[in-house]
This record gives sequence, C-alpha cells and structure tokens, in this order.
Amino acid sequence: MDKFSYIGKPVVRKDALVKASGLARYAADQDFAGMLYAAAVRCPVPRIKILGVSDSKARKVPGYVTLVTHKDIKGPNKWPLVVDDYPFLPETEAKFQGETVALVVAETQKAAKNAARLVEIKYKELPFVEDPLKAMDKKAIKLYGDDNVFAKFVIKKGDPDKAIKEAHAVVEEEFTTNYQVHAYLETQGVTAVPEADGGLTVYSSTQCPFYVLDGVAAVADLGYHKVKVIQTVTGGGFGGKEDVPALVASHAAICALKTGRPVRLIYDRKEDFNSMSKRHPSWSRVSYASDKNGKITACVVKYVLDGGAYSTLSPIVLWRGAVHAAGPYKIENVRIEAYAVATNKVPCGAFRGFGQPQICFAQESLVDDLAHKLKMDPIELRLKNILRPGDKTATGQTIGASCGLEELLETVRKRSGWDSKAGSHNPNSTRPASGPDKVRGLGVSVAYYGVGLGAKGRYLDRAGAYVNIYKDATVGVNVGNTEMGQGALTVLSQICAETLNAPYDNIKLEEVDTSKVSDSGPTVASRTTLMSGNAILEAAAPIRAGIFKTALDLLLAKGAQASSPMSAFRGVFSIGEVSVTFAEVVKECWNRRMKMGEQGWYVSPHTSYNMGDGQGDAYVTYSYSADAAEVEVDLKTGVTKVLNIYAAYDVGRLINPRLAEGQAQGGILQGMSWALYENLVYKNGIMLNPNFTDYVMATIADKPEYDIVFIEKPYAEGPYNAKGMGEVPLIGVAPAVGNAVRNASGVRVRSVPILPEKVWTGLAGNRK
Amino acid sequence: MPPIVVKPPTLQALWRSLPSFGGARRYLAGGTDLVAGANAAPAGVKARPKGGSFDRTEVWVDISGLKELRGIKETKTSLMIGAGAKIAELEASPLVRRWLPVLSAAIPHFASPSLRNMATIGGNAANASPCADAVCALCAEKAQVLLEFKGKRRKLALPALFKGPKKTVLRKDELIVAFEVPKWKHSGAYLKLGPRSYFGISKAAVAAALEMDGEKVRSVCIALASVAPVPLLAVKTANYLCGRMLNEENARTAAALVKTEVSPITDVRSEAGYRREMCGVLLERALNSIASGVSGIN
Repeated sequence: MDKFSYIGKPVVRKDALVKASGLARYAADQDFAGMLYAAAVRCPVPRIKILGVSDSKARKVPGYVTLVTHKDIKGPNKWPLVVDDYPFLPETEAKFQGETVALVVAETQKAAKNAARLVEIKYKELPFVEDPLKAMDKKAIKLYGDDNVFAKFVIKKGDPDKAIKEAHAVVEEEFTTNYQVHAYLETQGVTAVPEADGGLTVYSSTQCPFYVLDGVAAVADLGYHKVKVIQTVTGGGFGGKEDVPALVASHAAICALKTGRPVRLIYDRKEDFNSMSKRHPSWSRVSYASDKNGKITACVVKYVLDGGAYSTLSPIVLWRGAVHAAGPYKIENVRIEAYAVATNKVPCGAFRGFGQPQICFAQESLVDDLAHKLKMDPIELRLKNILRPGDKTATGQTIGASCGLEELLETVRKRSGWDSKAGSHNPNSTRPASGPDKVRGLGVSVAYYGVGLGAKGRYLDRAGAYVNIYKDATVGVNVGNTEMGQGALTVLSQICAETLNAPYDNIKLEEVDTSKVSDSGPTVASRTTLMSGNAILEAAAPIRAGIFKTALDLLLAKGAQASSPMSAFRGVFSIGEVSVTFAEVVKECWNRRMKMGEQGWYVSPHTSYNMGDGQGDAYVTYSYSADAAEVEVDLKTGVTKVLNIYAAYDVGRLINPRLAEGQAQGGILQGMSWALYENLVYKNGIMLNPNFTDYVMATIADKPEYDIVFIEKPYAEGPYNAKGMGEVPLIGVAPAVGNAVRNASGVRVRSVPILPEKVWTGLAGNRK
Repeated sequence: MPPIVVKPPTLQALWRSLPSFGGARRYLAGGTDLVAGANAAPAGVKARPKGGSFDRTEVWVDISGLKELRGIKETKTSLMIGAGAKIAELEASPLVRRWLPVLSAAIPHFASPSLRNMATIGGNAANASPCADAVCALCAEKAQVLLEFKGKRRKLALPALFKGPKKTVLRKDELIVAFEVPKWKHSGAYLKLGPRSYFGISKAAVAAALEMDGEKVRSVCIALASVAPVPLLAVKTANYLCGRMLNEENARTAAALVKTEVSPITDVRSEAGYRREMCGVLLERALNSIASGVSGIN
C-alpha cells in the first residue's frame, strides 16, 4: 500500500470557510457599474399561439428600459443542445406554462419584475397533451415529429419471449414515478457583461460552463474567442444546472447586447419551479422470469419518460436509464425498449442518477416480488444473480475487476441484522415497533452506475487541466469541471498536491473560466474526479519529474547518500536525515528556468456500444451500491418513517473519505425524499405547487440513521484508482424503502412517491 | 412589499391616521403570511387560477409596534393573550403551560422555530387558514376573540370569526386585539398529521380539551384543522362524549361520529377520503392519550 500525503485523507474543504462565513460570491452577488436587471415574461397556459407581445403598459413603470423578444436574437433561434428543437425565445408558439416568451430590462430588479407583470402576451390557446402515454397515441396532437417521441432505444439479447414461456416463475408489473425538483438553495442566476470588443463575459451559476459558452456564442452570433464564461460559486446543482443555465445565460446575453450594459437575471423560486429542468416522471412495465432455483432467465422492460415540451437532455437521460434497466444482474435474455416523449409540460433533464432511479425503483421492486413469488429471501435471490467480475451485463459488456457488488450486499446484510430481523419474504414476521398500530420492516436493493458519459456521450468525454507553479511555490490549477458543492475543488487539489508533493494549502483551484482550459465537457455523470483528476495527473507529470529530479540534486548537494531512496511526503523531500522543502525545490527549478506550467488532457477509453441492438461496452467502468432500509409503518395512517439506511458502496478508491460520507448521506436523504415525500402536481397543464410550502421535501427531522460503508475496489484507469461517486448513493434508496414498506405492512406501492395515502389505500384493500 | 408601509406608534394614533391612508390596506404583524405571500406572487407566471398577485398600490399598516396588542395576562377567570403575542412567547409562557394544555401541545407543530419567533397569534387567526394549528387549538380551549375598530370593541367566540378559507367577519380596518381564554381544569391533546415529521401544513389535525368528573367527561371541546373551510368545532361528537366514560369504546364511537362532521377536500396536500378517515384515527388517539394521562395538567 502506498503511503499517501493527501489521498484518502479527510482534508478540510477548500471552500469551507468562504461558504460557512457567507463570503462566497454567488450569482446574485455579482455587481457591475451601470448594471441593469432582466425579468422574464412567461407563457401563462400550457400551449399558445403567440399573436403579439406588447409593453405599452410596462413602459409606464419608472426605470423601465426595454422589451426583448426573439427579434433581438443575433444568431439562429435554436439553442444548441442534443437536438435543436428548443428556441432561445419562441416566435409563434409557446409549449408549456412558464416558458419564457420575452424579457424586460429595467434599472432595478423590482422595476423589471413589475414591468414583466405588465407586459401583455396576445395569444390563442391551443390544445395540449399532458400524459406521455396519451402523447404516444397515433391520434394525439403532434408536438414533436410525427410520433411525439424525442428518442427511442432498444437493447436486445437472446430470446426473452422463449425464456419467459419456459420459465418456472414470471412476474410482470407496471410502475410510475413522479417528478423531482432539484431545489438547489441558489436559484438560476447569471450576469452578462458586454466587453469593448463587442464580446461578452458571462458570470453564471452553472455545472457546465462550456454549455453556457455554446449557448451564448450562438444566441449572440459571436466567435467563441469573444465569449468568456466564468462560473460563479454555485449553490447546488444536482443536474439542475447542467443544461438550463445556458438558456438563462443566453437570455441575459441578448439583453446585454441590446442595451450595451451589464444585465443580471436571477430567477425567483416560483419561476425556477415552473420553467427549469426536473427529474423525468416515468412509466414502466417490467417482467422478470426465473427458473425454479431463482436464476433469472429473462428481463423485458418498456420504459417511458415524460420529456416535457422540448427534448433538452431527454435522449441521453433515457439512454442511461435503458442501459441499466435490467438491473445489475447477469441475464441471458433481455429486451429493453425505452422512449422519451413530448408533452406540454416543463422540459425534464438531468437529475442525480440521470434516468436510473426511476427504472431502478421499478426493477428492484419487481425483483422483490419475484423473491416473494419464489418464496426466497430477497438477498439470496440477488446473490444468485448479481454481477461479479467477468460476468456480462444486459448490453453484453464484461464486468472488470473493479466490482465489489457481492461484498456490498453481504455487508448490508450483516450490518442491518437482516438474517435475525424480518429480512425474509414473509410479511408477517415484522418486529417490535415504537407503539401500537406500528410495524417495522426491512427492504434491500442493489444498483450499478456507469461512470462518465458512456458510449452515447463519448465525443464529449474528455477533460483538460492547466497546472502552473508560481515562483513562491504556490500552485494555480485550472480545470474545466466545476465545484457545485460536491467537493471537486478539494478532491482535485488533493490529487494535484499528492502528485507534485506540494503542500495541500499551496494549491488553488480556480472556478472554471472557459478561456483558460479547453472544452472539458459537462460536470455530470459522476465524472469529475475521474476526468479532471486524470487531466491534472497528465499536466502535473512532467512538472513532477522536474521537481523530483531537482529535489534529488539539492539533497545530494546537501550531502545525502545517493544510494538511499528519496522520500516525498507532505511537501518535504528527504533522504535519510537530509531534507528540502517543496518551496526550496521550486525556487531552484525557477532558477534553472524550467517549464513550470503544463496542460493536461484526458480522453476516456473507447466504448464499443452499438446503438442498433444495444450490445457492446456502454461505459468504461461501473460503481456499485447496496442499500438496506429499515422502516416503521403506521397501519392506521399509512405514514412511513425510515429509521435506518444501511448502505455500502464501491466507488473505487476514496480520495477524501469525509466528502464521500457527505455525498453518501446527501444522496440517501435526497433519494428518500423522492421516495416518500416529493410530489409535484400538474392539473390541466398547470403546475399547482411551485413552492416549498406545498412541494414537500425531507427535512433533517426526517433523516434516517445512516450506516455507510465503502468497499474500495481499485480502478486502474482512475486517478489514484478512484471511480465516480456523486450519483451512486441516490439510486437504490427508493426501491429499498418500498421493499421495506412491503415487508413491514404487506402493502406494495408501485408508484413514487410512496405517500401515506397510497399505503393507507393498500392497507384498506388488504383488510377487505 | 408595497412602496408604502406605515407604522403607527399607538392604537389611538392608528385610528386617528386612518383617513389619510387612502386606498386598500393590509395589516402587517409578524409578516410570515403577508410577506411570504407577496414574495411568492411577483412577476412572471400569473396563470395560477386562484393565485392572485397582490395590488402594489395598497398600503401596509405595520402593527407590530403596538403595545396595546402585546402581552399575556391573567385575570380571575381567563388568560388575556394580546393579538401581537409571538408564538414563541406563548411557547415560553408559564401561564400558557399551566392553563392551556391544547395550545401547549399544538405549538411544537406550529411551523418552525424561526417562524414561531416572527408569527403572531393574531395574525394566525386573521389569515383565516383552516390549517392554522394555534387557532385550532385555541378553538378547543374555548377561546373568545376581541375585535376593535376606533375604540369600539366586540367579542366573539373564536370559531365565529371565520367565514371561509382566508375569510373572516372582520370589518374594514377592524383589528383583532386579544384572545380571552377561560381558565378551566382540563386536559388536552393536539394531534397533527402533516406531510413529514415536522414543519409542514397539516392534512388533518385534531385538538381536544376535556374536563373530567371522576371517570366521566364533564365538559369537552373538539376542534379540527384542514378538514373543513374553517377551523371546525365538532359539536355533535363533543355532545356525545359529554357525561360519558372516557374509555376505548366511547373513543371509538366518537371517532366514527367525528368523521360525519368534517367536510374535507382533495387538493395538492391530500385526499378527501383519507383526510376524513384520519380525523377518526387522530381523535381516537387523542382521547386515548388523554385517558391514559399522557397530556394532562393540574
């Protein structure tokens, strides 16, 4: 085992002090001389034909400056994303309640908001479609193409129909899941500043500065060299600041170009709810077949995501969901069909887990149902089928050596007391609870997660870094991936410090500036540690060689024994008793006029996946999780309280165990909140609860006790053998909770959120 | 907030200056409903069918500085609670703890500590939400409410203040100045079914106050939140219990009866049928908890 200075150590977060003390400058803290404020004018109903936009009343608001519509867009009116169906601003038709139709610019935030309220959209209401399954009907109104399908993927392996026919046991059920709102503390926000050369500098709260660059350059019809995007300290993302900040920034950019002054655009919570991306609602029908010993022989999935009014990231969210839809099992016969469908509702996109949590809820619930049908213990059934190194996934990919799923499952089995508690298929074997009418139960789930963008996003899967050592031995590092609270600045600093043998405190990682590093793709898919970490390793390698050689020279000059090996630890180089500091070595390097700044570039390995039959390597590697949830259900009210979550993860080597624990706790709570509480309601195409009063999320009072274990299976290609972490802890929580509810109460709820009303209805049905 | 907020120093000054305000006005106390409501309905999306944005020409009258509305005092027969008393003041009050067991039980369910520091009991009533936890509890405590307009006072039973969701019998510029709550030797319980463990608006809540005469119920008042257009007194159920033994069987019968008195709706927060059933569950649990002496006083 290597002796590391910083890798695997719980060093203090780089951004802890500025965030805890309130000094961090978020999007709304950016201030510029002469700055104006923009506010959006939004579509009031689900679908309209736009007949005109009038500011005759808005003009009377003191401080009013101008109205901005699609006519002010310089470039083509298409936001460049996966498919270019989303205009920056609509010209003739708006497709969902809350869509930005125009903007007003004013001298103050208040004036802008007041004026926006007075802008009149003249429109004719058009018929709309709300339900994705109805949108797939041949007779449905057409919102996209000739079938309302944004994307379709198929994965085919073996002969599932035959396997089902010959099976000992078959289970088939339908499942649904509802939206999830990112609920980042900082709403969307941006400031666009016109520069003297006609260009723009954009200060954006975003996960993906290079997407903002794409959007702003397109809307402004500017060369990329005239647009600079600087990420401001970002108050949470969870996927909600992947694509849509580019749209918000493009709106601010048009306003800035039209007025020639800096323009700030900050969303209030309601418009953020109404118009920004969400986790897709889903519908699925899943079947599993098995032989009499519990070997799963077939899996058939039909999976539909409600994409909303525009395609945005739906195609790639859908692809990830489809690839993982059979679960982390070796199954010979698989057929997965997945669709992302257009409706007249808010466009859905990235959210931690990216299309996986929905289908994981379905298939992991159904695996429990299969265990029940086979009268087998759910963990025993899973142990017979889970992926181990050398096994093949649904896409025919061979699992590499970095796979600890079996150990994870055995770990949560042991730590949750599964075998001595209720952890069997028998719903009557519930354990003592806190009072009358209450019952307890345990439920389990397993999940895997393809790290990085995978085959569907392979052309984006590269990342750059610039490492620059100053004369005083401090180190500036630029990367193309962002900090959004997940700890990237800290983890990447640890990797840089370790590699150079520089003191951790000497490292300064900058927030992303698109003019400093080549396009490094998005900060998503749990890819930052892996991609930017490897880019830093490559940039630092030649500098490291120079520094280590110089250190050796200095040590020998100070009389060290040439025959003894040099050690490098926490910023000090030594041979025996003789030592030099990193600062002394760097000073000598500069004296020797060595190159102390280097670029790094990392490209993910090839993936062989074939979009035709869905076979081949989908991702470069996988992370794994196992969850056991212990719940208490009130048999009179249907209320579920999650008491404990026992979780085990294989995310490769941990760079920072404290941050990993934080990611795990946060992911569990966010997953539990989606599983039990979060319920965004649409009625007639109108969002009914775009606020934190009625969109209910878990609070700290709802949090379970966490029991979190990491089993680190090294990934050879990863920086210091790390894989990816951020999304993994969320994915398996909902099915573990649902399975525990069933184990406790006998009620199977096949829709998320598992509201008390649904459990209560199930209990009433069981009593009859 | 609107451009003009006035803050009179005394109630007298308020009455005197009324004619100078002109136009529509609203009264600002703790601000937890008024300010949050104003912030939630600014520019942008205005499609929400019922969600009216507020009129920016109106004047807000800040009554948070009026000493006449503050304080919790004890008389021979009652507690006089000023309408401007913060929920946190009630929480800390030994008088409330001694005499008002239902209100004491309800306060931990009232929003969050930070909101309890801001919100006033008068505002909780004036907002006229059928979900108001403290109001529901005060109804069970048999509270009366004192209203004043230009020095003229009137007194109502608290439930009579409410006409419907967000609607009261308050006349223009009439203010809630105090609550008069009788001192009686009773036990109480407040059971709330919210959307999560803490800090949420109830799907249903039950407030129950009982005075015992040996093993029999001498006097009882039951109020429910979120299951009718107004904070609801369950009169039939209370009449049934009065004079009966407080045992499991009678609690069960009362629970069945209370379900016939409520008129819940289906909305984003819950479903009508579920809410109705929960009224029974909560009442039965409340009565059983009182019977077992869990939340008794005196």
